[in-house]
Amino acid sequence: MAASESSRYLARSLPRAFVPSVRPQGFCVRRNASDQASSRSPAVDLGELESTGALLPGASESEAVKSFDPAALAKGRKKQLPRSRYQFRSPKYDRGPLHPHRPPPPSDPSSRLYVPGPFSLPRVDQTYQSSVASDILTLCYVHNPPGFKPPQKSARLRTWDDSSPYHKNRPLRGPRGGDVLRLLRKPITFNNIPKIERITIHSYVKQAAQENSGWLHVAGMAVQAISNSRVETFKSKTSVATWGIVPGRDTVSVKAELRGENMLHFFGKMVDIVMPRIKDWDGVKGSSGDSSGNITFGLEPENVALFPEIEVNYDMYPPKMIPGCHITIHTTAKTDKDARLLLSAMGIPFYGKMVN
Amino acid sequence: MSLTTPLRRSAATTARVSTSTTFICSQCRHATLLRRPKRPYTFTQLITLSDGSTFTQRTTSPAPVYRSTRDTRNSLLWNPSSSKLLNIEDDEAGRLAAFRAKFGRSWDANTPVEGEEAKTPTDKKDGKQSEEEAAAEAAAAQEEEDNLLDLISSFGQDEHDGRSGKKK
Repeated sequence: MAASESSRYLARSLPRAFVPSVRPQGFCVRRNASDQASSRSPAVDLGELESTGALLPGASESEAVKSFDPAALAKGRKKQLPRSRYQFRSPKYDRGPLHPHRPPPPSDPSSRLYVPGPFSLPRVDQTYQSSVASDILTLCYVHNPPGFKPPQKSARLRTWDDSSPYHKNRPLRGPRGGDVLRLLRKPITFNNIPKIERITIHSYVKQAAQENSGWLHVAGMAVQAISNSRVETFKSKTSVATWGIVPGRDTVSVKAELRGENMLHFFGKMVDIVMPRIKDWDGVKGSSGDSSGNITFGLEPENVALFPEIEVNYDMYPPKMIPGCHITIHTTAKTDKDARLLLSAMGIPFYGKMVN
Repeated sequence: MSLTTPLRRSAATTARVSTSTTFICSQCRHATLLRRPKRPYTFTQLITLSDGSTFTQRTTSPAPVYRSTRDTRNSLLWNPSSSKLLNIEDDEAGRLAAFRAKFGRSWDANTPVEGEEAKTPTDKKDGKQSEEEAAAEAAAAQEEEDNLLDLISSFGQDEHDGRSGKKK
């Protein structure tokens, strides 16, 4: 349909191109101006020209040039200049990559997703940069004498012995004793010193499903207060028959994910202030960790209440509803051993048998 | 019409698989609302540790200064070698020990320290045996040092023999 229409328009417009125009074609040399400039002599006009050029060094500095001092002008200005009339506003909706009106990237200050910061240099970060990183680098140094060649390791994925014709084109087998391929630990050098990547605070509130949502609200506010960031809520994925929790129906948990500045402030606060005040606490169990460098431990409700943010207005929270939480510290270390080395250097005590 | 139908169908299918992480350069019919990230208001707080050292931090607590009474500077877990924090009773006059000698029962009984017991018989033995023991001790110390060196040099070397040590 569209094609037939365009052809119709084309047919209508085509003959116009071939119609000969009325005006004569070719160069137009005729002057249309009617004054007498061409007939006047050039010497008469020279009096109007300035004797000194503007670009010559000896040109006179006028009053305006001498008084031009933009820095002083800006300093002496009492009020802010009015903003320019046009201000870019990011579109409210992202309508996909092919839409002509695309929102700017989140790093752009005009984006709706922009988060400014960081506003401070946390103490934990300073400690890490000044002492912990170099200590870890020293502790993890392995000296290899010149000419040392590391022994060849066998491939992590095993090949099939071609005992059967059906082995042809099969994908490689996983390692013996389980299909899980663990992370490879590379030797630690100056550019892969383990550091804290993010911290997840997670709290499972079973009463939110059993009683009312107030438990969830209080848990969210408490976690937000201690973490400086908004929390997300999650529905249960598994059914717990004894607590009457049905997957997909009950919103039972609260999670805050901390990165960057918030994370470091939270970590410092937890290590310096909260952990020493926990009663009868030996430290984090040495067997915690997911064997790829992330360490988890739990805080009881009475320990969460020790955070200064909750302590400062303790009356705001119903005392029974203050949640306990699980805190996962995600590090860039590849093994739990390295992660534990990092965290113990940053001040988290570990006890018991260290399991990697 | 026969030309347009397959095009429409493909648009519908791409809209359904929009959750995948790969970048699909095709028309997405829905519009996602770009929510402004919400951040709680934070204050700068000066934290004073128990030994007088201070630092600032961003926190949701409106209190400008926080003084801590118990922190890493004065808790035993972080200062295991501090004699000040160690909970040892002051018994210079020996009155507590005398009390225990008189009235002490099972856990409170005034038993001599184990180290002293072990020392006394070795002193009585003849010189030759003590020399042998000293040599054995020196060998043990040397072995221990070697073990420590091994521990340092083999840090992180024995990883990845294929299976997790945790599952054993």
